[in-house]
Amino acid sequence: MKDIDNLQKRSRKLRDFAETMGSSGLAFTGLVGLLFLAILVWQITAPTFIDGESGEIPAANEFITESDYEMEWDYPNTDSNGALTTDAIVLEISWDGGDEVHELQINIISERDIYEDVYINESGLSTNIVEIGRKTKFHLYSSLTEVVLVIQNSGPVPSADETGKPLVSSFVIEYDIAVVYDGGLVFEPLEIIAYATLIFLVIIYRAPKSNILEFMHKLVGKERMVLAIFYALALVTTIAGGLSVPSTLAALCWILAARMMSALIKGIERMLHSGRKLSEVSRLKHSISNRDGLLMWSSMLLVTSTLFIPLEIYIPFLTERYQDIFSPYSSGIRAAFYGTIWVMLIAMISSVPISVGAAIYLEEYAKPTKTTKLIQALVTNLAGVPSIVFGMFGLAIFVKQGGIGWGLGPSILAAGLTMGVMAMPIIVLASQEALRSVPRSLRESAYGVGCTQWQVTKDHVLPSAMPGIMTGSILAMSRIMGEAAPLVVVGATAMIVFDPEPLAGLFGGNVNFTVIPIQIYFWTSEPDPAWHAMAAAASISLIALLVAMNSIAIVLRQHFRRRLN
Amino acid sequence: MSEEAQTEEIPDSTRDLEIDDEKELMIEDLDLWYGDKQALYGVSLPIAKNSVTALIGPSGCGKSTLLRMMNRMNDLIPICHYDGKISMGDVEITGKDADLVEIRKKIGMVFQRPNPFPKSIYDNVGYGVKLHFKPTREELDAIVEKSLKRAALWKEVADRQHELGTSLSGGQQQRLCIARTIAIEPDVILMDEPCSALDPIATAAIEELILELKKDFTVVIVTHSMSQAARVSDYTGFMYLGRLVEFDKTEKIFSDPDNELTKRYITGRFG
Ligand SMILES: Nc1ncnc2c1ncn2[C@@H]1O[C@H](COP(=O)(O)OP(=O)(O)OP(=O)(O)O)[C@@H](O)[C@H]1O
Ligand SMILES: [Mg+2]
Repeated sequence: MKDIDNLQKRSRKLRDFAETMGSSGLAFTGLVGLLFLAILVWQITAPTFIDGESGEIPAANEFITESDYEMEWDYPNTDSNGALTTDAIVLEISWDGGDEVHELQINIISERDIYEDVYINESGLSTNIVEIGRKTKFHLYSSLTEVVLVIQNSGPVPSADETGKPLVSSFVIEYDIAVVYDGGLVFEPLEIIAYATLIFLVIIYRAPKSNILEFMHKLVGKERMVLAIFYALALVTTIAGGLSVPSTLAALCWILAARMMSALIKGIERMLHSGRKLSEVSRLKHSISNRDGLLMWSSMLLVTSTLFIPLEIYIPFLTERYQDIFSPYSSGIRAAFYGTIWVMLIAMISSVPISVGAAIYLEEYAKPTKTTKLIQALVTNLAGVPSIVFGMFGLAIFVKQGGIGWGLGPSILAAGLTMGVMAMPIIVLASQEALRSVPRSLRESAYGVGCTQWQVTKDHVLPSAMPGIMTGSILAMSRIMGEAAPLVVVGATAMIVFDPEPLAGLFGGNVNFTVIPIQIYFWTSEPDPAWHAMAAAASISLIALLVAMNSIAIVLRQHFRRRLN
Repeated sequence: MSEEAQTEEIPDSTRDLEIDDEKELMIEDLDLWYGDKQALYGVSLPIAKNSVTALIGPSGCGKSTLLRMMNRMNDLIPICHYDGKISMGDVEITGKDADLVEIRKKIGMVFQRPNPFPKSIYDNVGYGVKLHFKPTREELDAIVEKSLKRAALWKEVADRQHELGTSLSGGQQQRLCIARTIAIEPDVILMDEPCSALDPIATAAIEELILELKKDFTVVIVTHSMSQAARVSDYTGFMYLGRLVEFDKTEKIFSDPDNELTKRYITGRFG
C-alpha cells in the first residue's frame, strides 16, 4: 500500500461532474456568443428592419425626475428700450435643519461663473441673504432632500416652479437637483485606514523588517481570526460608505490586505519551518506564495483608487455637470465621464466572458469541421465591420421595442451592450491568438499528471493565455472608449444635467446619458469659442483615460510575462 | 543499404518475448499511424515490474511514439490512430472506454524537454496531488517535501519553494518534473530522453535517481545514450523503422545480441 493511497480519494463522480459543468458552461457561453454574432450577421443582411413606424427612436429628451428640482429665472428684466425695469433679485434662504447636520452647497450660477455658494454646515447657513443683481439668468441647484425655504424679497418672479405656477414673493424648494458638492471628507476614516493598511503591507512585502516579522509571528495559527476581522472591516466600510465607489474600493483594499496578511503569516511559518531565522528578511520573498500576484493586485487597486480622487475633491471641470448653454466654464464633464465609465463597464462585463468562452470553445473544443471554419471566417470579418454598422445593430436589437428589439431605450445599458458586441470579435480573435500560442509542452505536462480537458484549460492554458487575452480585451475596450459613431445612432444625448443611471433602461428612470467623445462632438459644434476650449480639455481627459487604461494593460502583461519567464 | 533491404533483416514478432519477472505492462501487436504514415508496425513488448526498461534506436524510429502510447498521450494528436492492445494487469489501456485520467495517474510521464508549470515549485509538485486526492495542508506539505527529497531536489529548493518552477536551472527543472510525477505515486514512470538537455553532472544525478526509483516504481526510459541504457536498465528494446527489432535483458543485448542490426547499432557501426 503506497502512502498516498491513505489519502482520501477524490470522488470520481465529483470530478466528472466538474468536468461536465465546466465544459457545458463553456459550451453555453460559446453558444451565446455565437448566437449574438449570428443575430448580428442576420441583422446586417436585413437592414430594412429599422424602417417603418415601429423603428422610430424616441427623441432625446431631458426630464427632471420627481426628486429633482430646478428653479430658473428668465432674463431680461428690461423694457423695449433695453432699460432695466425690475429690482435686483434678492433671495432669503432659510432652513429648518432640525438635529441633523447637512453639508451642501447651493450654487447660484450667473453668466459663466458660479456666482455664490450657500453652504449649510454645522453652524447653519453660511449666508441667508443673497443678492443677485438684475441682469442675470440663473439657476438654483441644491441637493437637499430636506425642505429649504427660499423667499424672494424683490425682483421678477421665477419662470416656473415644480407645479408650473410661480409664486410671487415666497416659494419652497422641496426637493432640489444636482448635488454640486458634498463637502464631506474625501475619504471616510475607515477607508483611509484600509488604504494605509494595504500600503503598509506592500511595504512589508517589498522591504520586510525583522521586528515587524517578529510581531506577525505571534499571529501564526490565528490566520482565521485575522481574516475574519479584515473581512468584517470590509463589510463595515462598504455599508458605512453607502456602497459608493470609494467605499467599495476601500472594501477591496481590506479583502486584499486580508489575503496578504494570511499569505505573510503562512510565509513566516514556512520560513521558520525550513530552518531560517526571521532576521534573514531577504529570504521571506521565497516563502510567500503568490507574492507577485498579490503585489500586482494591490498596486492596481491603489492606482485605480487614485483615479477617483479628482471626483472626490473639487476640480470643477471633472466634478461639475453641464450647467447651461451660457455657462461653459462652470460646466464640467462629470456626467460624460460617468457615462463613459458605465458604458465601458457594461461593455466589458457583457463581452469579455462570452468572447473568451467562445475563443476557448473554438480553439480547444470545436472539431475543425466546415461549420467551425465558417464561424471562424465570420468572426474574422466581423472584426473589420465599420462601427456605425454596430450602432445600427444596437439600435435594432437593444434600443428598439418590438420584433427582436429588447426595448432598452436610448440608455446606457443599450449603449454598453452595443459597444460590447462591437468589442466581441476583436476579443475573440485576440484570445484565440493567445490560446494558440500556449506551448504544446504545457498542455502535455498537464495531461501527463492526469488532468481532464477542462482542468487543463482552466488551470494551465487559460492562465498562460491571460496576458494575451487581457491585452486584447483592454485594447478592444480602449478602442470602443473613443468611439462616438455607434452611440450617436443608439441615441446618446448632447447635454445632460444629471449623473447617468446605468440600469435605467431596465428599471425605468432617466435613460439619458452621454459619453466623452459625444460631449466633445457637441461642444465643438457650439458657436461660442469657450465651448471649443472645453472640448479640447475634454479631449485631453479622454486621452488621459486611454493612457491610464493602456498602462494598466502594460502592468498586467508585465506581471504575467514575468510569471511565464 | 536501402530501407527495404534493412527491413527484411528485421525478424517477425514471433520471437519469444517472455520475461521471468512479473509483468507491469503488456503491449501486443501495436500498429500506429500518423495520418497515412505508419509509425509503428506490430510492436509487442512486455514491461517488467520494478525494473528499468530502456528503448533505444535511431532518431525517428518510433521510440517516443511507443512510449507516449503507454499512457495514451498520443490521443492528443488528432491525426494519430492505432490498432493493437496495451494492458496493465486486467485494465485495458487502449480500450475505448478507458479512463484516461486514471491511466495517466497510474502511468506518469517525464518529457524530453523539462516542462514545469509556470507556477511555484510547491504548486508544481502539489498540483497533481491536489487534483486527485484531497490532502489537507499538512499532508500536502509532507508529500511535497517527500517528493522533492526523492527527486534529490529538496536541498536546493527547501527555502525557496514559492519561487517559480521555471526559474530553476534546466537540470533542476527536470528533477522538478520528476518530483511532480512521483508525487502522485504512479505505478509506472515513462521518461523520454530525460537527460538530453542536461550536463554530465545533472545526468549522473538523474541516473542515480532512476536506480533509486526502481525500488518503488516501474521505469521505462527512452535514451540515445548506449552507455546510459547499459548503466541504468534491466531490459532493453532496440527499435528500428517502427519495428521492435530485439528485446532482451540488457546484459544480453549489450554483450551478445541476436540480431545483426542490433549489434551494428550498439557498436556504433550503423547507417
Ligand atoms: N505529431 C506527429 N505527426 C506526424 N508524424 C509524427 C508525429 N510525431 C512523430 N511522427 C513521425 O513518427 C515517426 C516516429 O517518431 P518518434 O517521435 O516516435 O521518433 P523517436 O524515435 O522518438 O525519434 P527521436 O529519437 O528523434 O526522438 C517519425 O517518422 C515522425 O516523423
Ligand atoms: Mg523522441
